[in-house]
Amino acid sequence: MPKSQYIDPNQVRQKGWIKFKDIPVNQYDKTVKDETGNFSRDDFMRIFRDMSIIREFETMLNKIKVTGEYNGISYNHPGPAHLSMGQEASAVGQAFLLDKDDFIFGSHRSHGEILAKGLSAIEKTDDATLTEIMESYFDGAVLKVAEGITKTESVKQLAMNFLLYGTLAEIFARETGFNKGLGGSMHAFFTPLGIYPNNAIVGGSADISVGAALYKKINRKKGIVIANIGDASLGCGPVWEALMLATMDQYKKLWEGEYKGGLPLIFNFMNNQYGMGGQTSGETMGYEILARLGAGINPEQMHSERVDGYNPLAVIDAIRRKKEIIENKQGPVLLDTLTYRFTGHSPSDASSYRTKEEIDAWVEQDSIESYKKELISANIAKEDEFESIRQNISEILTEVVRTATDDTKSPKIEPEKIGTYMFSNKKIEKMEDGDCETLIPLEENPRVVQISKKVRTATENGQPVSKNRVYQLRDGIFEAIIHKFYTDPTLVAYGEENRDWGGAFAVYRGLTESLPYNRLFNSSISEAAIVGSAVGYGLSGGRVIAELMYCDFLGRAGDEVFNQLSKWQSMSAGELKMPVVLRVSVGSKYGAQHSQDWTSLAAHIPGLKVVFPATPYDAKGLMNSALMGTDPVIFFESQRIYDIGEMFHEGGVPEGYYEIPIGEPDIKREGKDLTILSVGATLYRALQAADIFEEKYGISAEVIDARSIVPFDYEKVIESVKKTGRIILASDACERGSHLKDMAQTISETAFDYLDAPPVVVGSRNWITPAHEIEDYFFPQAQWLVDAFHEKIMPLKDHVAENNFTVNEQLRRNKGGI
Amino acid sequence: MATPVIMPRQGQSVESCIIVKWHKKVGDAVKAGDLLFTYETDKASFDEESKIDGIILAIFYQEDADVPVLTNVCVIGDEGEDPSPYSPGGEATEKAIKPDIVAADTAEESEGATKPVPVVAAEGATKPVPVASPRARNLAERAGVDFSRAAGSGPDGRIIEKDIIALQQQGSAGTKAAFAAGLTGTGAGTGLGGRTTLQDIADAEVSGRQSGSGVEAEVSAGDYTEVKLTNIRKVIANAMFASLSTTAQLTLNSSFNAADILEYRRWVKENMQAQGMPNITLNDVLLFAVSRVLLMHKSLNANLVDEKMRYFAHVHLGVAIDTERGLMVPTIFNADAKSISEICTEAKSLVEQCQKGTINPDLLKGGTFTVTNLGGLGVESFTPVLNPPQTGILGVNNITQRFRNEGGAAGFYPAMGLSLTFDHRAVDGAPAARFLKDLTVFLENFRSNIK
Repeated sequence: MPKSQYIDPNQVRQKGWIKFKDIPVNQYDKTVKDETGNFSRDDFMRIFRDMSIIREFETMLNKIKVTGEYNGISYNHPGPAHLSMGQEASAVGQAFLLDKDDFIFGSHRSHGEILAKGLSAIEKTDDATLTEIMESYFDGAVLKVAEGITKTESVKQLAMNFLLYGTLAEIFARETGFNKGLGGSMHAFFTPLGIYPNNAIVGGSADISVGAALYKKINRKKGIVIANIGDASLGCGPVWEALMLATMDQYKKLWEGEYKGGLPLIFNFMNNQYGMGGQTSGETMGYEILARLGAGINPEQMHSERVDGYNPLAVIDAIRRKKEIIENKQGPVLLDTLTYRFTGHSPSDASSYRTKEEIDAWVEQDSIESYKKELISANIAKEDEFESIRQNISEILTEVVRTATDDTKSPKIEPEKIGTYMFSNKKIEKMEDGDCETLIPLEENPRVVQISKKVRTATENGQPVSKNRVYQLRDGIFEAIIHKFYTDPTLVAYGEENRDWGGAFAVYRGLTESLPYNRLFNSSISEAAIVGSAVGYGLSGGRVIAELMYCDFLGRAGDEVFNQLSKWQSMSAGELKMPVVLRVSVGSKYGAQHSQDWTSLAAHIPGLKVVFPATPYDAKGLMNSALMGTDPVIFFESQRIYDIGEMFHEGGVPEGYYEIPIGEPDIKREGKDLTILSVGATLYRALQAADIFEEKYGISAEVIDARSIVPFDYEKVIESVKKTGRIILASDACERGSHLKDMAQTISETAFDYLDAPPVVVGSRNWITPAHEIEDYFFPQAQWLVDAFHEKIMPLKDHVAENNFTVNEQLRRNKGGI
Repeated sequence: MATPVIMPRQGQSVESCIIVKWHKKVGDAVKAGDLLFTYETDKASFDEESKIDGIILAIFYQEDADVPVLTNVCVIGDEGEDPSPYSPGGEATEKAIKPDIVAADTAEESEGATKPVPVVAAEGATKPVPVASPRARNLAERAGVDFSRAAGSGPDGRIIEKDIIALQQQGSAGTKAAFAAGLTGTGAGTGLGGRTTLQDIADAEVSGRQSGSGVEAEVSAGDYTEVKLTNIRKVIANAMFASLSTTAQLTLNSSFNAADILEYRRWVKENMQAQGMPNITLNDVLLFAVSRVLLMHKSLNANLVDEKMRYFAHVHLGVAIDTERGLMVPTIFNADAKSISEICTEAKSLVEQCQKGTINPDLLKGGTFTVTNLGGLGVESFTPVLNPPQTGILGVNNITQRFRNEGGAAGFYPAMGLSLTFDHRAVDGAPAARFLKDLTVFLENFRSNIK
């Protein structure tokens, strides 16, 4: 909504035509002979060598999968192997011009891309740097084994063995693999050479790559980013979201100075023409030629073209031209790299969906053989030279396989170590040193000035402070965030309505005044890409706050939160950090699709930290912790209490910096007869219930605010339950499958002998959230806690329950699925 | 005439005994003075002899059975007589056995022909077992209340904590044995927390007999035993008495923040294997600390003999060790010159030798100061008794959580107590206190001091 851009009705209502430029299809038509001036003999031969390495590597995997043997070495590989035989020219051609500062992200079918990119980066990296990379990676653990594989005469040769071994050991789930065996075939990667995560979710790399490109652009890093995704991924919503987020007008129209211009990103569709068994062009898509799509996305048509991925020189040519476009800040680019895989989707695929005739025709034109013939006819080399290259590859690979399958040299990880990689648990104030780009000094920020006049406690002289004067929960979040914006130069924040509007709930009001577009911007309404790009930004080395305006939109970003944000730290065995805070606002008043508390979904997924503060003091302290850490934090906020003042912390919310450790519950009121553990805004209804218990029944309730859900230190809760013997757990999450059930179970197991009744969970009904007017039927109310206590814990004298918490009713509801 | 043999009561506090061995079986002829069975309490074992001649007609409890005292164990009489009236499960004593316990025992050992007959088992099976919350059961256990007597007021009649509290307030507490012996009613007991004990039941019976028949109560021969002191006990007895009667000893109590030594201990546990170090305990930490701090306080590393002070150049540390035979105090010589690992290893070896009784007597003397530790047994403070001619002995207590307000930050910390007894003839209070102070400072900064 920038005011600087006027939408003129007279202009936009005018009659006219959208005109498209021609989209090139396989326009490259040079031969090796034509290119002899542009490539050295070594270049030509290296292209052949790299394609042959990939072919032999995958032939080896195929043999092991199908026959359990390779060159006399028996091995059973039970894991996946999605092979790309046939696609070698696409991978090698793409990598030819890339060095370690260029990032590639891939798919489940990316062995070839890993090797091609690795080999190219090794070629372009000096020996000292290569040695340093290999020696420092896992303290030289991979190198130590790689050194013993074959005799090598140069650092580059050793690095090649290192690359082959690290990749294969990873595929075979060895601790000496590139990701200690925690990534595996579909997720292997090696970032020091610019090989970024390969993704087993179709199209998963699209939005992550956008984030990596944002990281490079915003932090002025060298290199380009390539998202290698399949043709069939165009059926996935998040890929479209990535395309939208990557081509926003603002990069070219609103971002300023050196930040003005497009993203350094290529969406490269490795178009092997099948998505599993679905034929994309002809059956499951309607584009006919994939490159067509660029035309629909922006006026530059994303510089889209189809390139013949069977010809390495054609691909190199395309990348050379596209890199130039990117260097001129005209990106991003869409590339349709046409290719073909000879083998099935996986070894279990019998290719029943295509004819032998078709496969034979593509094998007939095999890119390696065709290229070799061209080299011979151009007198670059003779047949026996190629044979000797192949022979050499086979010999090295045999030794690599022997080592990678040797349980002594290549052991598997100890089980408990996996747990140590789930979180990095680091405290890093700024992800990089440097000046923080801001527009005005912090103390001149209008929101900071406004907050400085506020009363930092909920009451003053025993009287409640008015909403306009009280320091609110949203102020707590704001203070923590703006502090970090003036501390960590890499920090960016984006989401829907994050800029001029100040966030839909005014948390960011005032941020726009302090920050240029390149640090705070409005995104497209693309929840998947918002989170996915944050993942890419974080794992590339930057800190980011992404926002989902409503918790209910978490479903839209499901894969990005549950499969990406949560997993890359551990799948990298600790090599990657994920300093990403995902703010998620929990609504109320807006009915079924805007009022749900989905903390339990987040808590269920390993690898995420989950917090839900309910007071300004806790919100600021927890946000400070989240922004100091290096782990992904799902930061839930409740729209019910953005304006609440601080009622608990003595002296109110401190003006300075402080942290509240993630995982520590807090006793908000002490008591001795009953413990109430609440999550989020339910705290205030728990306190009301505590009043009722005290005043009407003389029961003293201890109210504990969970504050965090994952991790969670039970000590205070167990201590409390040992004292009181009774506990009610309450939150606004629907009761079925609520994380509170999990907590109740843990409490039952750890404090069983102290319990006077089973822990009782009071959650929202297993319904839709009804309209605001009848919302109280749905969300737990103070009276519900009293009724549940009466029915399930200790009957209260003369109490008449208003809500049915009997066991029979519980069973009846379960039977009905409500 | 058939005569029952009861399980004697060995001491006032004993409520049941375990039969260790039967020396006779059913059908054996016995003479007065013959050994019948061996039984034991938690403290000692005893033999029961027959007081009459006759034939063993029945044995009611097998070996390893835990038998409430004063319960019939076997019957001796003439051939052909019927022992069943004396069965603990028989008509006469049926009420004394809790139904569910009998049922369970029977189910486990159905072959036990001489076991009490489960007369009331059927009743026990039909009667629903009262449902009580774990917390209520727990409280009942601690308070000595039979939870099944409580009226459940929780959901579906579940017995909850407040029902047990109500029962306690009615005075319905009793010991397990008292319940087993037939306690049914309520009344003021003389046991812990007002529990009714077996003695109370017996007293009630005696007074009943007195008022009914006028027969006088008499002390039975089984009420006490005499055991001669062992030699080591005599030595200890004399030494302790001499210490208290010939010195002017008094005790200072202090405590310190044990966080640092706990952290050190945790580190040791985690790293001892990797570092190849012994399992250094908190006691070893204390020994080490004393060995280092003591040299700065000469008057406590000294002997007082015949109005002369003998100051030592090295610390020879006495370590009080609890053994089956009694207290022993071996010495770690030149402890001030030994590393913590050496002290640890040596202390362990001394403990072993003392417990096995293989300790060289030379190692049991020559100490210049003693450390005694009751912390492991939960003692919070005590007055260690000096080992003359030494002038000091340090008692180590347990760790308790204490609250303090330091620099505006209030919080709990683990406090370990120290009790220093010293001979006021040799040392004044202030220097003794300074030693304690230096020791606590050393311990609170232990990890930096050990470097």
